[in-house]
Amino acid sequence: MTLPDPLTPQPRPREHWRSLEQLAGTPEARAFQEREFPVGASELPEGIDRRSLVQLLGASLALAGLTSCRRPVENIVPYVEPPETMIPGIPKSYATTMPFGISGYGLLVESHEGRPTKIEGNELHPITAGTASAQMQAAILGLYDPDRSEHPLQRSAASDPQRKTWADFVSDWKAREAAYVASGGAGLAVLALPSASPTLFRLATALRQRFPRMLWATWEAVSEENALAGSALVAGQPLRPAYNLGAARVILSLDADLLLSESDSVAHARGFIAGRRLASEKEGMNRLWAVESAYTTTGAMADHRLALPSGRIGAFALALGQALGLPVAAGAGALPGVPPRWIAALAKDLKANAGRGLVVAGRDQPPAVHALALAINAALGNVGTTVLLREPVDVIPPSTPALRALAAAVQGGAVSTLVVLGGNPAYDAPADLKLDLKKVKNVVHLGQTVDETGAQAHWHLPEAHFLEAWGDCRSSDGTLSVVQPLIEPLFGGHSAIELVGLLASGQDRPGYDLVRETWSTLLPAGAAPAAFDDAFNRVLHDGLLAGSAVPPVAGLSGSVPAEALAQLARPAAPGVELVFRASPAVHDGRFANIGWLQELPDAVTKITWGNAALVSPNTAKRLHLENEDGVRLKVGNVTVELPVWIVPGQAEDTVVVHLGYGRRAAGRVGTGVGVDVYPLRTSAAPGFVGGAELAASGERHRIAQTQDHGSMEDPFADKSLPEKERRRPIVREATLAEWRREPHFAAEMVEIPKSGPLWQQHRYDQGPQWGMAIDLNACIGCNACVVACQSENNVPVVGHEQVRRGREMHWLRIDRYFSGPEEQPEMVFQPMPCQQCENAPCEQVCPVAATEHTEDGLNAMVYNRCIGTRYCSNNCPYKVRRFNFFNYTKDTPELVKLAANPDVTVRSRGVMEKCTYCVQRIQEARIDAKIAERPLKDGDVRTACQQTCPTQAITFGDIRDPNSQVIERKQSSRDYVLLAELGNKPRTSYLARIRNPHPELEEA
Amino acid sequence: MAQIFPRWTNELPLRLAVGGTVLGILVVAGIWYYFSPRFTDVGYQPVQPVAYSHKLHAGDLGINCLYCHATVDRAPVAVVPPTQVCLNCHRTVKRDSPALAVIRDSASSGQPVRWVRVHNLPGFAYFDHRPHLRAGVGCSTCHGRIDQMDVVAQAQPLSMSWCLDCHRNPDPYLRPSDEVTNMDWSPPRDQLQAAARIKKAKAIKPPVDCTGCHR
Repeated sequence: MTLPDPLTPQPRPREHWRSLEQLAGTPEARAFQEREFPVGASELPEGIDRRSLVQLLGASLALAGLTSCRRPVENIVPYVEPPETMIPGIPKSYATTMPFGISGYGLLVESHEGRPTKIEGNELHPITAGTASAQMQAAILGLYDPDRSEHPLQRSAASDPQRKTWADFVSDWKAREAAYVASGGAGLAVLALPSASPTLFRLATALRQRFPRMLWATWEAVSEENALAGSALVAGQPLRPAYNLGAARVILSLDADLLLSESDSVAHARGFIAGRRLASEKEGMNRLWAVESAYTTTGAMADHRLALPSGRIGAFALALGQALGLPVAAGAGALPGVPPRWIAALAKDLKANAGRGLVVAGRDQPPAVHALALAINAALGNVGTTVLLREPVDVIPPSTPALRALAAAVQGGAVSTLVVLGGNPAYDAPADLKLDLKKVKNVVHLGQTVDETGAQAHWHLPEAHFLEAWGDCRSSDGTLSVVQPLIEPLFGGHSAIELVGLLASGQDRPGYDLVRETWSTLLPAGAAPAAFDDAFNRVLHDGLLAGSAVPPVAGLSGSVPAEALAQLARPAAPGVELVFRASPAVHDGRFANIGWLQELPDAVTKITWGNAALVSPNTAKRLHLENEDGVRLKVGNVTVELPVWIVPGQAEDTVVVHLGYGRRAAGRVGTGVGVDVYPLRTSAAPGFVGGAELAASGERHRIAQTQDHGSMEDPFADKSLPEKERRRPIVREATLAEWRREPHFAAEMVEIPKSGPLWQQHRYDQGPQWGMAIDLNACIGCNACVVACQSENNVPVVGHEQVRRGREMHWLRIDRYFSGPEEQPEMVFQPMPCQQCENAPCEQVCPVAATEHTEDGLNAMVYNRCIGTRYCSNNCPYKVRRFNFFNYTKDTPELVKLAANPDVTVRSRGVMEKCTYCVQRIQEARIDAKIAERPLKDGDVRTACQQTCPTQAITFGDIRDPNSQVIERKQSSRDYVLLAELGNKPRTSYLARIRNPHPELEEA
Repeated sequence: MAQIFPRWTNELPLRLAVGGTVLGILVVAGIWYYFSPRFTDVGYQPVQPVAYSHKLHAGDLGINCLYCHATVDRAPVAVVPPTQVCLNCHRTVKRDSPALAVIRDSASSGQPVRWVRVHNLPGFAYFDHRPHLRAGVGCSTCHGRIDQMDVVAQAQPLSMSWCLDCHRNPDPYLRPSDEVTNMDWSPPRDQLQAAARIKKAKAIKPPVDCTGCHR
């Protein structure tokens, strides 16, 4: 089957479409274009009919009428002895670190009255630099998870789990300890998650010294094992690669979702976009090439993208190596689907930018591909500039062989005590290495909930969340930082270092002491006790130890062994290739109980609340599959049933599935959401496996996805015209050359009407006037802003059914558009907050003046006036207004209420809400400036979305200030305003997306 | 022909119309006043757990408002003082007075005193004391003569229209900064000119937009 040539130029002007359904003009897609909530969306949920509802309403009115005649008493409860530095109403920020795999991300967490409420990035930290990803933002709900275990539990064969205390566990351990000391640890085993914590490293070493015959295995479902093994193949020892995308002019991603899923993605995104800020037409731009199977955000940002099954990327790398003149044997013949001109242009680009190029292999690619990528980088002189290799100091690395040894020992009955430090092997261990926990006499599980593993453990110990525990961490560049708790452990949990400390020394010591002990060796030597305290407090204040990065190794000597290259040259297995990917939302399943992440529309597929078997349009046509049809996926003799979802641009004959779903014991949010695909995943093929079978099952599923929601197309367009001609130019993009020829192409795509409004307008000539500019060239669709907004503004989670009806409540949504042929489209992201129109259509129709314009240009939403006619959202052309159809916060558990931002109203049923430009932050900044008797300056107010964006795509500020960053952006020639032809005069504008194709691959 | 309707029904429509209108006006006026904060909230004087007298402390003894309500110029909320502040004096002054038993219990047990809130706004209205103090709105303007109250009572309605009356026309209420806590202050003869000077010097522009208070 022939694919469209990836070199075929795009028709001009580019047309953008949201979904295959829109292209096909199906009634479902058209429904969302014509009405914000298609027929049936306003219907009552099943189970209630109109008549009984009216009866209920009448009854409750009668009952409610007289009960609340007395004024309720509200108490003010001050402290007895107030903490010295706390002022109620003024939040404080503390620096901490989020350990994640073998990386660490520096955070600054805002704390209201002693409880953490909002996570931001730490500006001083080299990886986050003040920004935070969606998963970092959502970590706050992991702390306030109502399904966290509150007590240690002891389970014996006969009875139900008994509530115990930590002291009970300690005495239980002390009773067993002597025997293990005597036997040198025979029968003792630990399964830990990979970490980069110096304290854990030190204690694990001590533990191994105390119990030489103990088995220690480190493993997690999604890890950097392949990268470390790849570097070991070339350099002889495992080295940690870190990528400096800011220094790269040409970047090649080999199945590496650098911008979202790989670790340190926030740093990669920042560096990548720094190379294409395009403040003016004269500036140059870096170039991103992506070769991948699944469509990722990296592929969306790529200037050239090639869809290739993951199993053939090794062969591609061989072909590239050959084109670059490396001493590698040729691949197994020509690569179908890869025009030789493409590889030639890529090789030319990399060679021309030797020393400033970068080739990265994804974590799911086998070690041989990582080794080859490293060799290519070394040959091009990139090692030391864009690729930095470092020894993994204080890293406890993942190791599948160790897990295999542990599984074998468990199977052989050689393990009497197994301590599981935070992992969930009963859920995510490879299908061929499942630990038969029944064969272990004493399973100790340290975890945040009684999950799949905890349910089989004899001892379940609540784990302290990183926001409530002491710890430490090294980031990927070796920078040391401390994990500082924001609050005492809510449920008396303990951290992994405390448990390992107990096992290693026999003493139950708090994490704080253990961390300080480690740091007495890490901070400059010879410091007197007082100086140590000062130095330690400085680290706590800054969130890191300045200058503690590990210097990279000088160069790379060595080459890829021949056997590794031979592996890559092997032909791929016939049949369908199944690709396993960490979910950008729930990762390997650890975040399954976080509602914000479950409801987060996936960047590429826009699927929420679950996973699907993602296939390309041709694969679907071949099997006669439509979206939401069921398929049976078979690997070996394991079959899993999944709904299918078609992703234009995915590689042919591949099925991509996200890990982390189908959990059986995640809590009230995550249990039963999606399908568990871990049974298909073996240790031999954790990233992708060939020879899978895909067959329609005949079932239908219900997927909650948002790709057609919030359509901004013209509902009154002439239906006799073909669909293409009815579309509005919502997303505007061009190539670099086109932009340089016609700098104002974006603004000139529509004609702004000359006629003005009928009535007198506000005069925006006093005080700050707020405006926003969103750079489409910088938006990578990572969804960090969506979760940040949800966290800052108490935006509720609505659930699967409501998302299907288009009622998701995200104040800021990311629209994803395709352009080009179905099989190889390009992708653009567009964040859509309220546009704060100066001539707002919503304000003109509100019957009760619940939405009014303020003097500083905000479109204010006043919840207490709103009576829920929804006329405003009807009139909004951008469809950014969200309505509370139900009282979504009625049943919020008390614990989850602690995560709410007290400076923002919590909305009830029947009230409209929308983006407010973070008005609470604006007012806080204005009052602070007034009290301090200084004027407001640029950067005092940062909206939540702006602050967290890893690429700083969103700029916000005073448009009357000629020196503000937002005016600088708005003055760019790429600037355009959305739906300007309607005369709304929005305060938010967009900067068009620019692509940088290689001159040899661009149309003449 | 028989008379179906008795004679008195001749005037019935007129009586109904007039009576209905009068009744309607009375109902509306009644709801307008009796359901408004001016009636329901002014004079609210709940019983507090400790018989603390502002008249004694703030009035006769002359203790400054900010000694106890210390964060009113530094934070959005003006706190009720923690137990420790009471004990600053009452550790020695009237140590064993039965009226202070609740305070002493609070100190020894670590349980805070649960005061009853008098001045309250609904949850969707966000009020910040700091700009008001900075502008020169005195404590007694909104809270009344606290220094004459044995038990705190709400003196002003704190309704939105009452707030807006001042926000739209703050001049009668602005004082020089050093008079903010002066309970006895009354506007001087040239108040409007003085207020104009204050407004200019401090660039006072009270928000009248919804977002001033509703977030």
